Amino acid sequence: MLKSMGVAKQAVHADVGDEIDVSVAVGVPAERSAARKVLPIVEGVVLVAALLAPLVLQDYLTVFTTRVIILALFALSFDLVWGYAGIMSFGQALFFGSAGYGVALLARDLDITNIFLVLPAGTLIGLTFALLLGGFLLLGRHPSSVIFVSLGTLTGSYAADRLARGWYYLGGQNGIPSIAPMSLGGYEFSEGPAFYYLVLGILVVVYLLCRFLVRSQFGLALAGLRENEQRIAFFGYKAQHLKAIIFAIGGAIAGLAGSLYAFHEGFVWPNMVGVVVSTQVVLYVLFGGSGTLIGAVIGTVIVEGVSFWLSDNYRDIWPIILGLLLLLVILFRPLGLISFVLGERERVGSFGAKIKEKRNAP
Amino acid sequence: MANAFVAAFEILSFGAIIVLIVLGLGIIASMMGIFNFAQGEFVLLGAYITYLAYAKGMPIWAGMVAAPFVVGALGFVLEALIIRRFYAAPIVAMLGTYALGLIIRESVRGLIGGFYLTVPEPIGGSIDIGAMHISAWRFTIIVITLLVMGGCYLLLSRTSFGLRVRATLENPSLARASGISTPLIYGATFAFGAALAGLAGALIVPVFSLFADLGLRFLIQGFVAVMVGGVGSFIGPVAGAGVIGTLSAALPWVMAPVVADVLVFVLAIVFIKFRPQGLIAGKGV
Repeated sequence: MLKSMGVAKQAVHADVGDEIDVSVAVGVPAERSAARKVLPIVEGVVLVAALLAPLVLQDYLTVFTTRVIILALFALSFDLVWGYAGIMSFGQALFFGSAGYGVALLARDLDITNIFLVLPAGTLIGLTFALLLGGFLLLGRHPSSVIFVSLGTLTGSYAADRLARGWYYLGGQNGIPSIAPMSLGGYEFSEGPAFYYLVLGILVVVYLLCRFLVRSQFGLALAGLRENEQRIAFFGYKAQHLKAIIFAIGGAIAGLAGSLYAFHEGFVWPNMVGVVVSTQVVLYVLFGGSGTLIGAVIGTVIVEGVSFWLSDNYRDIWPIILGLLLLLVILFRPLGLISFVLGERERVGSFGAKIKEKRNAP
Repeated sequence: MANAFVAAFEILSFGAIIVLIVLGLGIIASMMGIFNFAQGEFVLLGAYITYLAYAKGMPIWAGMVAAPFVVGALGFVLEALIIRRFYAAPIVAMLGTYALGLIIRESVRGLIGGFYLTVPEPIGGSIDIGAMHISAWRFTIIVITLLVMGGCYLLLSRTSFGLRVRATLENPSLARASGISTPLIYGATFAFGAALAGLAGALIVPVFSLFADLGLRFLIQGFVAVMVGGVGSFIGPVAGAGVIGTLSAALPWVMAPVVADVLVFVLAIVFIKFRPQGLIAGKGV
C-alpha cells in the first residue's frame, strides 16, 4: 500500500556510505525542494487555527475541541506504529484505556491528581503495557506475521474490554464516574480554555518529538521496515527490536493521551480499552493520511468535526456515510486526504542531517 | 449426573454454534488468505433476513432457507466489486472488509433501531430424556452443524469444484494455466463463505435474539479459532473452532466467568505465538 521506490532507494544510499548526498539520492536538490514545501505550511496553518480556536468558539465547542486535540494525540501514537513502522495495531486503545483506568484509580483510591504525577503515571502505564504486549507479539525466535500481530493486538484489546466490563473493582459496565479534576498546586484544571491550551501544548511538544524521531536515522530505518522488512534485516538492523521500540513509544503516547482523556471527560468506561476506540483511531489515521504526522491530526479533526456537525440531524446515517467514505479512501486514496495537497516525494521526506557543504567541496 | 449431562449439552451446543460461524470465516481465510472483518455482519444479515421473514408473517424456516442464498449472492457481488482489489495486501483487506462491515452493521442498526428483537424457535419445546430436558432447537443446531460440516468436507474433497478450489489455493498461476478460471473460483469461494455465515446467523437468531452487534460478538472469537486451528486447510479452522467453542463454554463452569472469558483469549494467543502453524498444519482439505 505504501510502496515507494524513494524510500527503498534512499535506504540503500544512506547505508552504502556517507559520501553520497542524501538529498541528491532522492533527486531533489535542497534549494529547489525548500522553495515548494507544502508540509510546513500545512502544519503552520493547523497550529495557528488551533491556537485561535478558543477565541472564536463558544464554550461548549472549546470543550469539544479539547477532546478532539486529545484524540489527535492518540491518533499520533497509532500513526507512528502503523504509518511509519508498518505494524498494524488494532489494539491501540488498550494502552489509551488502561492508562485512563490507571489514573482514574489513582484519583479515586489514592487522591492523587497532581498533574506532574498523573501524566507521567499514565504514560508509564501505556509504555509498560505496550512493552509487555509488543514484546510478546513482536519479539521471539521467529518473526511474527503481520496477520498475527494485528489479530493479537485486536484480541488483547477485546479481552481487556471484557475484563473491564466484568471486574467490579474497575466499575464493571459503568466504568469509573466522576474523577476529580487534575490539579497543579491549588489550581484545578476543569474543562475550558486553560485545559485546551494545556492539551494543545502537550500535543505540539509530542508532535515535534515525533517529527524529530521520524526524520532521524531511526525514522529512516522504520520507513525501511515498512517498505521491506527483509531488506532492513539484511542491512544488519535488528528489525524486531526496532518494531518493539516504536510500539512501546506509541504505547507511551497513547497512555499520555488516555490519562488526559480520563481527566477531561471525568469518567472512564470499558469502551475506552475496547475494539470500538481501537478502530476509531484507525479511521482517523486512514482518513487523514498515514505516514505523515500531520495527516493523523487532520484526520482526527475532520472525522470528529464532521460527525459532531452531522450527528444532530443525521445521527442514524452518519456511521453508514463514514463506512462508505472509509471504503472510498481505502480504494482510491490509500494515502489519505493529505495526499491531495502533499506530493509523494515530500511525504517520504528527507532523513538525517543536511550535508550541503559537501556538494560545493571539490 | 443430570447436571453434568446438561453442562455437556450446553458446551456441545455452544461449540457447534462457534463451529458453524467459523466454517465460513475459515474457508475464506484458508482459501483466499483474507481475514474477513465483514463476516460478523454476514451473520447479522442472515439473522436479519430470518427476522424479516418472521415479521412479514412467512414461516420462519422459509427465512432460514432464504438467508444463505441472499447473503451468498451479496457476497458474490461484493467480491466482484470490492474484495477482488485487496488480494495482494492482507492488511488492506482487513481494513476494507472492516469498512464494509461497518456499512452493513449500521444499515441494519438503522433498520431495526437499537432493539433486541426476538424470533421464536421453529422447532420449539424440549426433548426429554428421563428427568433431563434439552432444548430441541439447540439439538437441531448441533445436527445441522454436523451435516453442514460433512457437506463442506465432501464438497471440497470429493467434487471437481473442490478440486479446482484446492488447486487455486495451492498454486494460482498453475491453476490458471490448467484452464481454471481463478477469479470465478475466488468469487464462488467468497460467496460460499458468506452463505455459511448467513446460515449461521439464521440458525442462531432464535437463541441470541437479533441486535445490531450480534456479529461483532463472534467475530474475534472466530478469528482466534481460525488462527488456533491453522490457516490453509478446511479441517484446521473447524478443529480450532471446536477447541475455542468448548473452552469458552466449559471454563465458566469451573471458574469466575470474567476470568474464563479473558483466559480463553490469553491461552489462544500464547498458543498461536508458540505454534504459528496452528493445531493442524499443512494444506489440503
